[in-house]
Amino acid sequence: MRRSRKLGTRTAALMIVACACALALPIVLAAAPIVTMQQVSEGLTCQCGCGLTVANCNHPNCEFSVPARDQIDHMLGRGMSEPQVIAFFRSKYGEKILSAPTTQGFNLCAWIMPFAAVLAGGVLVAFTVGRWRSNSPAPTPVDALESGADGNASNFDPELRRRLERDLHDRI
Amino acid sequence: MPLIGQLALALALVLASYSIIANVVGARASIPSLTVSARHALWAMCAMVTVAVGALVSSLLHSDFSLEYVASYTSFSLPTIYKFTALWGGQQGSLLFWTWLLTIFTSLVAFQNRRRNPEMTPYALAVLAGIAIFFLGMLNFVTRPFDLLAVIPADGQDLNPLLQNYWMAIHPPSLYTGYVSASVPFAFGAAALMVGRFDDSWIRSTRRWAIFSWFFLTLGNLFGARWAYEVLGWGGYWAWDPVENAAFMPWLVMTAYLHSVMIQERKDMLKVWNLVLIGMAFGLTLFGTFITRSGVISSVHSFTQSGLGPYFLTFLILVVVLYSGLLLSRVRQLRTPAEFESYLSREAAFLFNNLVLVGIAFAVFWGTLFPVLSEAVRGVKITVGPPFFDKVNGPLALALIFLMGVGPLIAWRRSSFDSLAKTFASPAIFGVTTGVCAFVAGLREWYVLTALSLAAFVLGTIVVEFRRGVSARRHMVSESVPTAIVNLIAKNNRRYGGYIIHIGVVLAFIGIVASAFFKTEVKKSVKEGDTFQVGSYELEYLGIHTTETPHVETSRARIEVRRNGKPIAMMEPAKLFFKRLQQPATAVAIRSTPASDLYVVLAGIDDQSGLATFQVFLTPLVFWLWAGGVIMAFGTVIVMWPNVRERAVIAAAVRTSLPLEDDAQVVPGGD
Repeated sequence: MRRSRKLGTRTAALMIVACACALALPIVLAAAPIVTMQQVSEGLTCQCGCGLTVANCNHPNCEFSVPARDQIDHMLGRGMSEPQVIAFFRSKYGEKILSAPTTQGFNLCAWIMPFAAVLAGGVLVAFTVGRWRSNSPAPTPVDALESGADGNASNFDPELRRRLERDLHDRI
Repeated sequence: MPLIGQLALALALVLASYSIIANVVGARASIPSLTVSARHALWAMCAMVTVAVGALVSSLLHSDFSLEYVASYTSFSLPTIYKFTALWGGQQGSLLFWTWLLTIFTSLVAFQNRRRNPEMTPYALAVLAGIAIFFLGMLNFVTRPFDLLAVIPADGQDLNPLLQNYWMAIHPPSLYTGYVSASVPFAFGAAALMVGRFDDSWIRSTRRWAIFSWFFLTLGNLFGARWAYEVLGWGGYWAWDPVENAAFMPWLVMTAYLHSVMIQERKDMLKVWNLVLIGMAFGLTLFGTFITRSGVISSVHSFTQSGLGPYFLTFLILVVVLYSGLLLSRVRQLRTPAEFESYLSREAAFLFNNLVLVGIAFAVFWGTLFPVLSEAVRGVKITVGPPFFDKVNGPLALALIFLMGVGPLIAWRRSSFDSLAKTFASPAIFGVTTGVCAFVAGLREWYVLTALSLAAFVLGTIVVEFRRGVSARRHMVSESVPTAIVNLIAKNNRRYGGYIIHIGVVLAFIGIVASAFFKTEVKKSVKEGDTFQVGSYELEYLGIHTTETPHVETSRARIEVRRNGKPIAMMEPAKLFFKRLQQPATAVAIRSTPASDLYVVLAGIDDQSGLATFQVFLTPLVFWLWAGGVIMAFGTVIVMWPNVRERAVIAAAVRTSLPLEDDAQVVPGGD
């Protein structure tokens, strides 16, 4: 009996590992180093009006993104770093070419606000829940059964228990 | 036809105005005949708008170029299906289509509630009629679909080539259905505030509508992403464009609302918050329309851009001010003594789920509007593109996925650490093992490792929950496992349908993460007979052939795809040239498998050198984004499906001609 339970646990563990591998494997197999030119051109907005980044412009013969990609490739080949390439394009076309706001000055608001809002919301939720908790009456044994928390069901009123079991049966 | 259409729209406006007065006066003065008359007026309004839609569709199909709209968006050679879909391809037509959906839904609500909710229904119908008046006012006075041209052109200007795609035949109607149906719960929420019904009857009365709206918003977003994937030819499906964001935000808020109302139904809490959420969801649908049509924010999607922005903005502000005022005036009565026992409870998990969902919606809203704000404050126009949204929403998405695993398994009211440890042990082990396996196999991106672990954790929790339910059924009624699963879902459709939706979300999330991190791109110029390698695939360019119709010229390349030397597919990417508009377009070829998508774009053809240039993307697991979407839709259908007990209660109520109890009016189902 004990042996078969041990065997069952092992099988379950093996199955968990197998399922986990199955979930992770396709990504691992597909994993490939990201092209640096791709990374850099993700940081720049195409100026042809497509609204996409230089990396993703959907015009195959785009007059902006195609030469820009070649130029980025060339600049990286000459040993320039990503910030240097970005700075070059920014000095040439202005801030609008960046595909995300900078992290300086007023632009910092763009980055901070969403997280600040979630944080403030989190504090508000925690505070409100704390207040509600302090207003709540002490739990009863029936509450304990209902909530699924640890409790001994045998302590409950037999009539209540019968009703519970009947309702459960109807529901199932 | 144009005259009939315009006349019908004018009559519809009159009927909508009458129905508001009759509904409000009838309800306030308790004159049932007046509210019945108002209901009839709404049905007549729907009939009038249907006539107008019929008139415009007829003109589109018959290429009646005396109409400015028909001449602007169709041509003689445009295929019939796209002549029909041109109904929502332009400004006036899409507004008319929107109005039509609104009047249909309003009529349905009037019919559904003809013998129930006597207190709230007249006010809810008045709100819906008020929204209809705005749209009908636009169609009658500002942007008229039946305006005639002084000189009739020999041919029309044709439909934008990007809209000549089957996904465009279903994407806008799905999205519009989602947008418009959100008006129904909003109208009932407003009506509940007007009449002072502070229980959850407005939620129960409109629960199906809310789920219906969410279902179509999901489909609308999914179809839109698929359209972008197949038509725009950049290998992606989501660019965080303002119009995409505008469709995504109501979806997020509706998702929060659908979770939050469960707390109100269960514990009579969060009344104000639920009213805020439904107000936000409706407001965001208007905001989305404002963005699409105003041109305030530049967007690749603004096919129907016009000068309607100020009207929509005014209406949006009016709605926000009126609704907020109404809500604030009732806040005191809406407050109830809240019972909340523990942070370790399902209520708490749902609250944090709401926080994250609304947080993501705010982040998207903020990022979408920030360029306008920046221009106003600094005088500098900046771009807020995918890198911003990815970085901001990435961590929030992880938190959401985590809560998706925790929420359904944690008990209402309170849990103990011991019971949590027991419940979550297996899913947590599964999640961690997945992450470790991926790490050992060579994956190093922390985000992907975390995402995979959390996805596995959530799937684990759902499996645990199904196993628990199946065991209980088998213990009590001795069923086989498949029968137990089917009965479990059938008898608790809301709960288990919800789990199926969660499975879909997790699969879609895996697809999104994998495709975002591991997409590879190869660009090659090759001659006929040349081969090139993309990942494990070998592609041979076999040549090009050209076909021509009166509408479009197509140059289609043929590529044989081989794997390990064996041919596995023939792919035919093409370049299209739309003659009437003199515009080129691309038609991509996609070979989709659960492991990866091979996506081929014919980027260019050089007639002189004979070189064809191909842009090829290899995107892992993107299949699961679409599969996840289908599973989400399937789960939603299960949630909406009326279950046996519900039908029995409704039938009993109808037999005895008694007003339905709140529970019977909508989906009592599981949970």
